[in-house]
Amino acid sequence: MARRYDSSTTTFSPEGRLHQVEYAIEAINNAGTCVGILAKDGVVMASEKRVTSGLLAPTKSSEKTYKLCQHAACNVAGLTADANILIDQARLRAGRYEYQYCEQIPIEQLVEHVCNYKQAYTQYGGLRPFGVAFLFAGYDAHHGFQLYQSDPSGNYSGWKATVIGANNQAGKSLLKNEYGSSSEEKEGEMKVEGAAEEIAMPDVNEALRLAVKVLNKTMDATATSPEKMELFVMSLKDGACVHKILNKDETQKVIDEVEAESSAAGDS
Amino acid sequence: MSILEYNGAAIIAMAGKDCVGIACDTRLGAQAQTVACDFRKVFKMSDKIFVGLAGLATDVLTMQNLLKFRQNLYELREDRELTPKVFSNVLSNLLYEKRFGPYFIEPVVAGLDENNQPFLSGMDLIGAPVYTDDFVVTGTATANMYGMCETLYKKDMEPDQLFETLSQALLASLDRDALSGWGATVHIITKDGVTSRELKGRMD
Repeated sequence: MARRYDSSTTTFSPEGRLHQVEYAIEAINNAGTCVGILAKDGVVMASEKRVTSGLLAPTKSSEKTYKLCQHAACNVAGLTADANILIDQARLRAGRYEYQYCEQIPIEQLVEHVCNYKQAYTQYGGLRPFGVAFLFAGYDAHHGFQLYQSDPSGNYSGWKATVIGANNQAGKSLLKNEYGSSSEEKEGEMKVEGAAEEIAMPDVNEALRLAVKVLNKTMDATATSPEKMELFVMSLKDGACVHKILNKDETQKVIDEVEAESSAAGDS
Repeated sequence: MSILEYNGAAIIAMAGKDCVGIACDTRLGAQAQTVACDFRKVFKMSDKIFVGLAGLATDVLTMQNLLKFRQNLYELREDRELTPKVFSNVLSNLLYEKRFGPYFIEPVVAGLDENNQPFLSGMDLIGAPVYTDDFVVTGTATANMYGMCETLYKKDMEPDQLFETLSQALLASLDRDALSGWGATVHIITKDGVTSRELKGRMD
């Protein structure tokens, strides 16, 4: 019955759903997992690298993490071709804001701009929506470090920790139990205002380990290795944002630390 | 009165052995009146690229922001740094876009290319470039600066000698020009880093 209402993006179904948008979200649930975790001294994003062929030429510096401006970066889950358009939009917006105001764009405004762009494709023109979900990590002077998630509908929300892509529900449930280890912790969905009011916000290293732990759970393969994941950290150094993608040795070190933790705890 | 001579400026860029130098005066005026003596017209775009913008001060500041914007976008998209030659082309393109309502600036670009060899270029307000291997000058005292540079310049100067030559050429040119002066800044760029110095000159 939904068939009559699912070919046009700009039409609601009788149940009040936009089927095209929902199908776009489905496309993302087949993509490589991305985890984002907010720490007190930075933001961590970890993603699963799906190597489809050994013959593929090595990419530039990263295939999942993209720098948007000096103080913001994003992880992509979904159609990379669609993502490239949106990433370029975000970069232009951040650049134009800085050109106009001589100030760095607040992260939420950058996220909202990208999301408004996505929303237009769900309401006008008869074009299909973007099949991309993003994790945005950023820092601004107003709200400190922030993590946002956005989906093809153009909806976004701020998180302390979240997962997108394949097996995200499994990832999210792990985070619910392990992030902050505080009992009044909700799902972690809230706008981050000011400093960490929650007592148990992890630091960047703990967040890295937690992120790897989540990826271990969501990834198909039982053995994790540095080639299969990409770890990204954003932190402050001398007042300026530093973007770092961990190299093979550093990644291996985190994986080893997580191994040691889980065998010490007697986890299966 | 020419609009390019409203605020006053003097900039020289010179090439040495595996190094470049770029120097400017620091006067900002409103025709005869001097308004500031700390208005620098040379901007660092990266460790290897410096740009000097002479002309109308508002356009100097705007162009600096615009160049920063374009440089950031290039580096984000291409995941590599701009080279001085490409930067010079970007600048030239930006200026020509406003062919029939131009920015009132006449810039010079000084930098080190991928092999740490000196790169110099100058252009007019609509982006016509000139590439040289010795020196480029721009501003309100160009006649003076050309004379000084032609006389004092030698090929393959080491950084310290380049600094001396550049400073003397600039200082002597400033004195005969009413619209430039009131202090000077010199940057010497080598592959190991940049040395910036303030010059003591006539404050008139």
